[in-house]
Amino acid sequence: MEKRFGPKDFFLFVGLLLVLLSVWLLMFQVDRQWEFIAKVEKQIEEQSKDLSELRRQVLSGRPLNGLNENRGQEANGAWQGFSRLAEIMDQNNYAQGDWIVDAFSVSSPTMTPFVAGDAYAAIIQQLVLDTLATRDPETLEWLPLIATQWSSSTDGLSFTFTIRDGVRFADGEALTAADVEFTYRFLMDSKIAAPRTRAYFNRIESVRASGNKVTFQMNEPYFASFEIIAQMPILAEHVYSEYLESVTKAEVFNSSTNLLFGSGPYRMANANDWLPGQMIELVPNERYWGLLSGTFSKLIFKTITTDTARLTEFKNGDLDVYGARPLEYRDLMDDQAIVERTKNFEYFNPRGGYSYIAWNQLKSGKSTVFADRKVRQAMTYLTDRQRIADEVFLGYAVAANGPFNPLGKQNNKSLPTREYDIEKAKRLLAEAGFLDRDGDGVIESNTGEPFTFELIYPSGSDDYKRMMLLLKDSYVRAGILMEPVPTQWPMVIDALDKKNFDAISLAWTAGFEVDIYQMLHSSQTEPGGDNFMNYKNANFDRLIEQARGEMDEAIRMDHWHRVHEIIWEDQPYTYLMWRKSLVFIDGRFENVKNVRSGINRGGLWRMPLEWYVSAEQQKYNN
Amino acid sequence: MINYIVRRLVLMFPTLIGITLMVFSIMALAPGGVGASLLTRGGDLRPEERAAMEAYINERYGLDKPLPQQYLRWLNNVSPLGFEKVDEGEERFGFKVPDLGMSFAKNRSVTELISEALPITLLLNLLSVPFIYTFSIIMGVYSARYRGSLLDVGLGTTNLALYSLPVIWVGTLFIVFLSSEEYLNWFPTSGLHSLGSNTWTFLPTSSETGFQRGYLLDTFWHLILPLICLSYSSFAFLSKLARTAVLENLQSDYARTARAKGASEASVLWNHVFRNSLLPLITITAGIIPGLLVGSVVVESIFSIDGMGRLVVDSVMVRDREVVLSITLIISILTLISYLIVDICYAIADPRVSYE
Repeated sequence: MEKRFGPKDFFLFVGLLLVLLSVWLLMFQVDRQWEFIAKVEKQIEEQSKDLSELRRQVLSGRPLNGLNENRGQEANGAWQGFSRLAEIMDQNNYAQGDWIVDAFSVSSPTMTPFVAGDAYAAIIQQLVLDTLATRDPETLEWLPLIATQWSSSTDGLSFTFTIRDGVRFADGEALTAADVEFTYRFLMDSKIAAPRTRAYFNRIESVRASGNKVTFQMNEPYFASFEIIAQMPILAEHVYSEYLESVTKAEVFNSSTNLLFGSGPYRMANANDWLPGQMIELVPNERYWGLLSGTFSKLIFKTITTDTARLTEFKNGDLDVYGARPLEYRDLMDDQAIVERTKNFEYFNPRGGYSYIAWNQLKSGKSTVFADRKVRQAMTYLTDRQRIADEVFLGYAVAANGPFNPLGKQNNKSLPTREYDIEKAKRLLAEAGFLDRDGDGVIESNTGEPFTFELIYPSGSDDYKRMMLLLKDSYVRAGILMEPVPTQWPMVIDALDKKNFDAISLAWTAGFEVDIYQMLHSSQTEPGGDNFMNYKNANFDRLIEQARGEMDEAIRMDHWHRVHEIIWEDQPYTYLMWRKSLVFIDGRFENVKNVRSGINRGGLWRMPLEWYVSAEQQKYNN
Repeated sequence: MINYIVRRLVLMFPTLIGITLMVFSIMALAPGGVGASLLTRGGDLRPEERAAMEAYINERYGLDKPLPQQYLRWLNNVSPLGFEKVDEGEERFGFKVPDLGMSFAKNRSVTELISEALPITLLLNLLSVPFIYTFSIIMGVYSARYRGSLLDVGLGTTNLALYSLPVIWVGTLFIVFLSSEEYLNWFPTSGLHSLGSNTWTFLPTSSETGFQRGYLLDTFWHLILPLICLSYSSFAFLSKLARTAVLENLQSDYARTARAKGASEASVLWNHVFRNSLLPLITITAGIIPGLLVGSVVVESIFSIDGMGRLVVDSVMVRDREVVLSITLIISILTLISYLIVDICYAIADPRVSYE
């Protein structure tokens, strides 16, 4: 009789498969154990190295704690960077431990310094790498970090930094002036994919290390030189130098995802096998030279791509930080459970930037209606920014009056924001020759051309869409027909490159003192520049050049204020909004507060984490 | 037969070139084209960084070269036979290892990107596909067996209803109702692993500190909601197909003969009809092999899983040419091969089919 495949055979096969599967799984388990043992072994090795170093120091009779001894003596010097932290550590409910669990909305492709370009990687790098100096979050003054002191030549062409003694990388090797010089050599090497950083460092002619001093020689005076140097992350020569050996080695670095190693307060726990999309885990760097390697025993950064999932995790208490959009923020403020459990913050993120409308003055070789300054001023009067801030952003935004941060010194505070004023706008338009000649409600030029234009904006955002409809309504009241054109990103780029648009609405990032050369100087109307609306003003060009080369802050601010005046007068853009960051933070964290630079959590530059959780409130215990 | 197979294999090359050329042209000729500016005009950059980035990327990946030259260069890189750079500027013609190139958006090799995303997508699909097929076939068979009954109508309606529910809505509802403390906190909201699970043992363990689910079980726990989202809408199509096939065979002459010779209804259904009804389903299965590599961007985005769906969509968004072309190439090769296998199987299964 024919043997058919029956239930008995089926079970036999399934059983066999199960046995094979469990054998395979067991093997997998053993493999994982081996990996774990290997990690522990490496740690023990490093620790025994520390121990023998310690023993050697004890036997030599030198004081062990050189840094802490200096603490009292340098009250206003080297320890300034940690003075805020020292105050917090004196609080009586201060305790170390617990975690911060945060989530990113996109997975960063890489954490490798200089190669990584996104804001999320920057957050991680600020915690792992050290810089020469940092800014006080409240006063914005520069404080010493790796450098104990510095001096500059009067012409602003040379800066000398003294490197702190006793700073060590996470593997115990000393950080020296040579490492600083190496970092410059490394990032300037054309084999390394660091074009974005090189755009700034091209201004440096040479870097020389001698003893514990490093001298940076600039090739032109530039106002931001010190900031550029002070914020250079310092890499370890003994770790990174191998990547300069050949093109192949450099490619290994360029396409790496996790070559992040430094002397900062934290280090990546899974640095060697981290891949994009995975959770990032930062643990305190036990060999950190500063006051405290880290209040928190872990900083966790997950990747959660949907807003709903992120919000749900935050509501569940699995996330400690949640950044909300305006509408969501208002809804959450009504949620009693959330309000009780969390603290909420509204602040201006200095990097947050501003949105604007650029008026194209030259389209396919012909002057547009926006070439007339009066028309641009009228457009600004017609752009009801207060209404946008109130209705679209629910009050969590302020009208922008120029490219300079309202909290910074660059901003000329004497210039008023142009409020919505339809009468003034109509008058200006009439002066420019725009009147309703045929009584159809739309204004026409001298030659009878009706005033209509298209406003391009990137599609995909509801807030933007609502803003555009509001603007359309505002403009039509003065007899101007505006057609909002939601546009896919590639087409926006195409429009910018060909300069064949009427008006376009976009946003720029900012800082406390920004350089506006690239977007407004007349030389930047050429391909590659960002003056895509063909704005030209010789007087303005000269002032920008002067401001950029001026090292004296008072004089420079004076130049910037005059630059701002011209922008205010000329209105090459209509500046729209500075938006607030709206954040909820779990209530167990102490000392979370607004500072001048936003919230005391780092951001534009490195700073020690000032938050803590009191012992009885701690949630995670290892 | 051999002749036929060889001919089909040779014909694959022009087909592949045609497919990739088409994808390349669509990307290159679309407004905006392929170029670094797509990456660098985003809000994250300051103007002075932007210009430097753009120049560098264009130079490094040759994005400013003439289009035909760019395509030929890519073709040369991926083909196993072609020019290869040996040392300083010297070139050699011959067999080489195909190179899928570098993603200019992520600055990493395409092979690496695919090898990270593919296992996740394969895991999801290898778990969901057998699940979908088993359930659909069982539902189809019983619907046919009890044709017109409440069971048949009920299953048909339910499956159609499930088919009509958009995944993006269902996924969000799952997160809000099944993963939130406000309602039922049964499942995790995102990712594939729990916090700290990398230090757990692989298999479940229980010790004096209590039961710990282990890495494996934890992963499965995270996979439940994504798997449901991936599967529920596929039941309708497959179960209807199975139902029609079984129904047709149940009314056939041989089924009547079997009944006449005294076989029980269950025996008729499972021993005679069922095997014959599987044929149309097997035909469809051929499409599964390339389909296994294709992720679902919606499910992956909702549950924050970095699979092939997200990789493809992210790459298309910034027109990351190398990634899009490579994935197109791989899927095309697999599709063409599985079609060939199906055609050969027809000839083997059905003596009437011949390719001579």
